Amino acid sequence: MLRASARFPYLLLAPALVVMLAVVLFPLLYNFYLAFRNMSLYHFRDHSFVGLEQFRLILAEPTFYQLLGKSLIWTSVNVIGHVAFGVLLAMLLSGPVLGKSVFRTLLILPWAMPQYISALTWRGMFNYEYGAVNLMLKQWFHLPAVPWLSDPFWAFCAPIITNIWLGFPFMMVVALGGLTAIPKELYEAAELDGAGSWQKFWNITVPGLAPTLVPAILLGTIWTFNNMLVVWLVSNGGLPADNTHILVTYIYKVAFTYSRYSYAAALSVVVFVVLLGFVMYVLRHTGRAQEASQ
Amino acid sequence: MKSLALSPIAAALLALSLVLPGCAPHQEKAGGAKTLVVWMQMDPEERGRLEKNLLEYQTMHPGIMVQAVPYDTENLRQTFQTAASGGSGPQLIFGPSDQIGPLSLLQLLKPLDTVMPAGFFDRFVPQSLDTLNGHLWAAPDQVGNHLMVCFNRALLKEAPRTAQEFLRVAKEQTRDGRYGFAMNVGEPYWLAPFLAGYGGWVMDNQSQPTLDTPQMREALAYLADLKNKQGIMPRESDYQLAETLFKEGKAAMIVNGPWSWSGYRKAGIDLGIAPIWKLPNGQAGMPMTASKGYSINVNVKDSEMPAVIELVTYLTSPQAELREATALGVLPSHKDAWADATIQNDPFLKISQQGFAAGRRMPVVPELRVIWDVMRPGLQGVMNGSKSPAEAARGMQASAMQQIASMKR
Amino acid sequence: MTEGAPIRWTPGRYLVHAFLVLFTLATVYPILQILTVSLRPSDQLYSTSLAIIPPGASLKAYHVMLFEKPFLLWLRNSFLISASVTLFGVVLASTSAYALSRFRFPGRGFGLYVFLLTQMFPATMTMLPLYVLLRSLHLLDQFAGLALAYTATALPFCVWTMRGYYDTIPVELEQAALIDGCSPWQAFIRITLPLASPALAITALFSFMAAWSEFLVARIVVSQQAMYTLPLGLESLAGQFQTEWANYAAGSLLVCVPVMVLFVALNRSIVSGLSLGGVKG
Repeated sequence: MLRASARFPYLLLAPALVVMLAVVLFPLLYNFYLAFRNMSLYHFRDHSFVGLEQFRLILAEPTFYQLLGKSLIWTSVNVIGHVAFGVLLAMLLSGPVLGKSVFRTLLILPWAMPQYISALTWRGMFNYEYGAVNLMLKQWFHLPAVPWLSDPFWAFCAPIITNIWLGFPFMMVVALGGLTAIPKELYEAAELDGAGSWQKFWNITVPGLAPTLVPAILLGTIWTFNNMLVVWLVSNGGLPADNTHILVTYIYKVAFTYSRYSYAAALSVVVFVVLLGFVMYVLRHTGRAQEASQ
Repeated sequence: MKSLALSPIAAALLALSLVLPGCAPHQEKAGGAKTLVVWMQMDPEERGRLEKNLLEYQTMHPGIMVQAVPYDTENLRQTFQTAASGGSGPQLIFGPSDQIGPLSLLQLLKPLDTVMPAGFFDRFVPQSLDTLNGHLWAAPDQVGNHLMVCFNRALLKEAPRTAQEFLRVAKEQTRDGRYGFAMNVGEPYWLAPFLAGYGGWVMDNQSQPTLDTPQMREALAYLADLKNKQGIMPRESDYQLAETLFKEGKAAMIVNGPWSWSGYRKAGIDLGIAPIWKLPNGQAGMPMTASKGYSINVNVKDSEMPAVIELVTYLTSPQAELREATALGVLPSHKDAWADATIQNDPFLKISQQGFAAGRRMPVVPELRVIWDVMRPGLQGVMNGSKSPAEAARGMQASAMQQIASMKR
Repeated sequence: MTEGAPIRWTPGRYLVHAFLVLFTLATVYPILQILTVSLRPSDQLYSTSLAIIPPGASLKAYHVMLFEKPFLLWLRNSFLISASVTLFGVVLASTSAYALSRFRFPGRGFGLYVFLLTQMFPATMTMLPLYVLLRSLHLLDQFAGLALAYTATALPFCVWTMRGYYDTIPVELEQAALIDGCSPWQAFIRITLPLASPALAITALFSFMAAWSEFLVARIVVSQQAMYTLPLGLESLAGQFQTEWANYAAGSLLVCVPVMVLFVALNRSIVSGLSLGGVKG
């Protein structure tokens, strides 16, 4: 800790906080306000207070629970994919590898691509007859083509694959940084004790990476849960048959296709509460773990 | 020193910002010229025509600048909705007639019959005008948007007229990696001609959905048969794919609208068009028809109105409508332009007029958005074989009723 | 540095290399796919050929994008906005994160989590109020309006990164400086900030990218074509049905290049600078 005048930290913090509160606070409060009203196509200029009606509607419809389930699957599969590939690649790249920096540079590229461009490219690659994915399956592996965009199951897989591709470089970089922080001596000592690679992974690498990975996973989870663009663009707005929606794309659709502003605002509040609950849980949990380990 | 790692980047950023032209986002309005802004949904070819019209308009009216900003249909509506309800936005928007449904209900447009000069709308062909809640909300500059059969003249001499002929020709043409027929079977707009041909329609006079009908089941079954049983169409036949195949000469026929025709010609296709063939029940396919036109933002101040009215009047004048009309293949909405010899004697537009005459007006009520939306899953389900026509029709109707109810809540 | 160390070529090593090569190819392939579309002579999105260089390849699309479309104008606009967001992001994140890392003061917990909280609200519904807000600040159709919105988007990540990195720098250095008579501000600028340059690089990169590739906010804030950013410009190439695919792809690739160059240039800093730090303050 440093000592300075009591004002100093506030002065440092103020500019950023002002920007955040200016740009984010008003929209946030406005949404909470809207969530308790009935602003829609037919009550656009003359909306009124309806209390918890929008929330009642949301919770009464089975759609919400399906979408919540889909959002959870979407988020967990993606985050697991990001972490698994990220950590695997980071471990390989921190061993002796020829042309390490070339690999690292190329593997980071998906992160450098604007998401809207990647998503549209992948959409093209998933076309049944002309997409590169099916062409490869057919021409190289002699496998049957997969109806990526027309079958509800595969159409949900397509944006997941796209998003894993987009997101693993971030985790790889985080893991690369985390691995350098693990002292080599720990591995050497473990080898002397006759530990296998699997044991070394679970007993040294995982706990060593945790402090760097947990915040990244936390942030990654929030981002993924709220990532509308990839699902929207790859599935072309929820196709086929609105089967690919997750909560946030559904909010977009309800707000902009049906102009049900208050319903969409209420749904946004629900998403916010779900994520807030998740983050509080993780923070409390890992906070306790950290205290215990100290 | 680690901090050096950043300095080349800082230097590069600085250098670039010096090299790039100076910052002047706001156009200098020489001599206090008035700027009018139009947001428009047009395909690239049609934008070219608008640019030329605006150029002419600006030379006729020095002191007025008109900026045209392109959007696609959805973005135009969403962005305009945000901007206009936030109290600003462009003076004019241009788009298909059905956008007036939600936008007029949200009170974001001016009712044109009350703000335009008396008698203004007498100049348009009646099929181009859509009344909603007792008002006209758009000044049309074209009519049409009707789907027709487009065929590759290098492959077939003329288009089939009956269902049997269609099947025979399509089967003949399906060979050597080529399909006889391609169509965007995922979009309800393409189902509409078949639904109407079988005598059905998407809604009744009270704007209540009529989707669970025998006619709907027949239309769905007919298309499903074409796509899945007859082996004349590609498997995932969406818009882009059908378009690509036809442009590459890998599909002999496609069903598509006027907006696509100049693109086919540009791709080197010897294009023929024809009204949609007679379905197995003996009735010809009946495409939806719609106009496109200009609507005025509710936020336009009274002081600006004269200039805006004048611009709208110009953009819907015969002079503006006839420019490149034959090349673009669009039908004008102004009576004089419609009767003009260049339109009436153009062999291509003549056939297009037949297709237009065989069509039925697309409703502009906001319920239509919901109906398109709920038809899509059903249609796609039938096309990929996961739903029977009966199931799909039932599902469409049920979700239409539910969605319309929740929209009106 | 293991880069220069000799490699013992065991079967396992070969396997690792084979895997890395395959994985890298799969990673890079979608980007090559964009290249392929951009080289196609006609505006086609689809083709049955898997060749990277299509038959009849032509660079026409690049010529069109650079010389016939207002691409350079879009580039300038995007660049100006991204550069200012980078500047704001670096300044605001480095100062506020320093406060969060080095001092204990009432409201610190709130300060830390307010950044995280803002990430939890779905962006869609903030569009309309954001529009109203920017309008009342007279920031519509202004680069400043976009820069403000983007800075707010980028800050949370940047603040967490910076704080995480400051936490790894021993506080004793500054304490010694304070004893030597430096003011807290001087200690921060002269000692901590230079040491935190890898994290500053990440912050800069992230802020730049946030502004470089955003279009949902840009679409509502910008309505003049003279102010289009790259994503808006690219979007304008797409018609309702007719899209200039080759030009779109060529433009996309041109958009990616500056960011890729930044990534490659900052490659080393990215790995060492990205530490989000412990979640427990």
